[in-house]
Amino acid sequence: MTMFLIKKADVGNIAQELSREYQIYGPMIEKGSGQTFFDRAQDLAEINLSAPIPSNPPKSVVFPQMERILSYEYDRAKNAVKMEPDYKIEPRALVGLRPCDLAGILCLDRFFMGQEFVDEVYLNHRKKMFIVTNTCVAPFKQCFCVCTDSGPAAGEGYDLNLTDLGKECLVEVGSEKGTALAAKLALKPANDSHLAMKKEKVDKSIAMFEGIAVDSKAWISRVMNRVTTGFVKEDVWEYVGDQCFECGACTFVCPSCSCFNIADVNNPECAGCADRLRTWDSCSYEGYSRMAGGHNPRKPVEDRRNKRFFCKLSYSQMKKYLRPGCVGCGRCAWVCPGDIGLPNVVTYVRREITR
Amino acid sequence: MSQVLNIQNGKIVTVPEVATIEEIRDEIREVKTFYLSIDNKEIWNNFKYKSGQFIMCTIFGAGEFAVSLPPSPENDRFHITVRTVGKVTSALHGLKPGDKVGLRGPFGNGFPFEEFKGKNLVYVAGGIGLIPLRSSIVHALQHKKDFGRVLVLHGARTPDDLMYKENIKEWQSFEGFETYITVDAPTPDWKGETGFVHTLFDKANLPVENTIAFVCGPPVMFNTVIGELLKRGLPDENIYSTLERHMKCGIGKCQHCAVGRTLVCTDGPVYTYRQIKTLGEEI
Ligand SMILES: Cc1cc2nc3c(=O)[nH]c(=O)nc-3n(C[C@H](O)[C@H](O)[C@H](O)COP(=O)(O)OP(=O)(O)OC[C@H]3O[C@@H](n4cnc5c(N)ncnc54)[C@H](O)[C@@H]3O)c2cc1C
Ligand code: SF4
Ligand code: SF4
Ligand code: SF4
Ligand code: FES
Repeated sequence: MTMFLIKKADVGNIAQELSREYQIYGPMIEKGSGQTFFDRAQDLAEINLSAPIPSNPPKSVVFPQMERILSYEYDRAKNAVKMEPDYKIEPRALVGLRPCDLAGILCLDRFFMGQEFVDEVYLNHRKKMFIVTNTCVAPFKQCFCVCTDSGPAAGEGYDLNLTDLGKECLVEVGSEKGTALAAKLALKPANDSHLAMKKEKVDKSIAMFEGIAVDSKAWISRVMNRVTTGFVKEDVWEYVGDQCFECGACTFVCPSCSCFNIADVNNPECAGCADRLRTWDSCSYEGYSRMAGGHNPRKPVEDRRNKRFFCKLSYSQMKKYLRPGCVGCGRCAWVCPGDIGLPNVVTYVRREITR
Repeated sequence: MSQVLNIQNGKIVTVPEVATIEEIRDEIREVKTFYLSIDNKEIWNNFKYKSGQFIMCTIFGAGEFAVSLPPSPENDRFHITVRTVGKVTSALHGLKPGDKVGLRGPFGNGFPFEEFKGKNLVYVAGGIGLIPLRSSIVHALQHKKDFGRVLVLHGARTPDDLMYKENIKEWQSFEGFETYITVDAPTPDWKGETGFVHTLFDKANLPVENTIAFVCGPPVMFNTVIGELLKRGLPDENIYSTLERHMKCGIGKCQHCAVGRTLVCTDGPVYTYRQIKTLGEEI
């Protein structure tokens, strides 16, 4: 693998160079609230690679909360239809992605592009994307990527990966696009001693989980077995279901949740013109599976909760993603008003095993 | 972007093909049959599907919905039969011959007819449950020599709710085809059977050995009929049904049609009762 070094003070040059071709997205600390958001940078200086894990995952860049997937016009007078798969997708670069969030995108990749059918809209986003990941040299309170094999260092799938080695940053190249960019920046080559320094940093980061990442203790493997084989007792799902407010927040902050809805919306300014929009949806919503005549095969909320956890924690999902559906970011635990973020649910299931 | 990009494995995936409504026939209250043809002749000539598959139909300005393909894949005029239940289906009912719609598909698994060779086929349909079974029935009719007895049992609430009346007449006259009809609530002029559809089983001398049953209808009917079939000793893997779920993408991405660990749009809509039992959800 090709590796380079870049001076810490020059790291900004990467985004600068990318901004010639790409819209730049990255982690930024919002002034008023002090919260980190992953968003489009108006000013590249706002991007803060040492900001804490963003409140929102970068998912929306590749799978927007609402997007047009088709537009059409039905001219009734001429009885003619014009249709455009009008994706209008701009090239975008994600700079400073956390490894867990990269793993989230790789989940989405497998799901949208790696099965019988390819989702063309997603494919178009992905083709035009550049990804710069950032090794986590220290975890945050709610992190548990060590349990889900998604951090604190990125394995594959990045164009460039950065690791803070102190005065300098190690730049690992993961793709041809990455090679081309490194060439433009005329970086200094790195060697195995730098790789060893990175390993030391990562080992240290992993060692810090016990002291820092104290919010979530999610030991997932046993639980996956239980969830897959259907051995989780009714009353655990019922308890989890009872706690759920059906707000959908967990779904929306999850880097790997991908359920969506589709609706055709008429354009008020043009007779016969409509856009087909897809929007995020959540399997926890009551109307999610409702059918004609009001029949809903999936009524009780525990049915729907158990769907989400099955999706994150079963072998059949493992087959799809080649990893758990959960990437250990802990965001669902942050936002859940019912206190049933994934780590807690894992704990409830484990408690049942040891009971 | 060329349309060809949107065809994967011979299917129209994202961008619908424009189709023209050639003719509309009334079936029963709230149900009409629409005869269609795809405008792009090349795609129309290469358009193939299997009995039991479905398509997504766009009504311009209203949206898209999932619909079965009732014609046999061979030698049968292409059509869909649709009941008005809401916004999109009502918009379709408001269209007239010559109007355009969009079609995407075919999607889903279809019936594994190869496995049915030499067997008796029993079709049990409640109300508009006959729509998704029609394709398979006509296929069986066209290949009668491949099968043993072929029985169609159709029940509806009233005589006015019986589906595909003209087809049923044809099927009745077809050698080796047995058709039994019943209604729950007869009108004064009704001369046929009354009672729920499973009450026909004795009259039909229902075969059980070497038999495949297809069951489709509202959830109550489904459960009663399955119960009766199992009681008579039909193995659960020989009972087939097509499931209906709320659908949006048709290609296994939106997850609206998830049932148990499967997706109705890609793993279904055809399931055996043995599979349905393990899905852990209502029908
Ligand atoms: C594989 C498959 C085959 C089908 N075949 C036929 C057929 O041959 N003929 C036919 O008349 N109908 C068929 N349906 C049902 C048909 O898709 C729905 O009746 C239709 O989508 C309702 O759309 P709408 O916009 O008119 O109703 P809406 O206004 O969207 O909704 C009315 C009610 O129907 C529910 N609904 C919305 N979409 C669906 C959906 N896809 N399936 C079930 N309920 C839904 C809503 O939640 C609401 O309760 C089939 C469905 C599937 C999944
Ligand atoms: S979960 Fe792991 S990869 Fe994600 S922010 Fe925390 S330490 Fe980094
Ligand atoms: S399930 Fe929760 S912890 Fe796991 S990836 Fe999704 S938001 Fe993060
Ligand atoms: S965030 Fe919590 S309460 Fe809201 S839908 Fe998710 S599990 Fe339910
Ligand atoms: S209809 Fe979208 S996943 Fe089945």
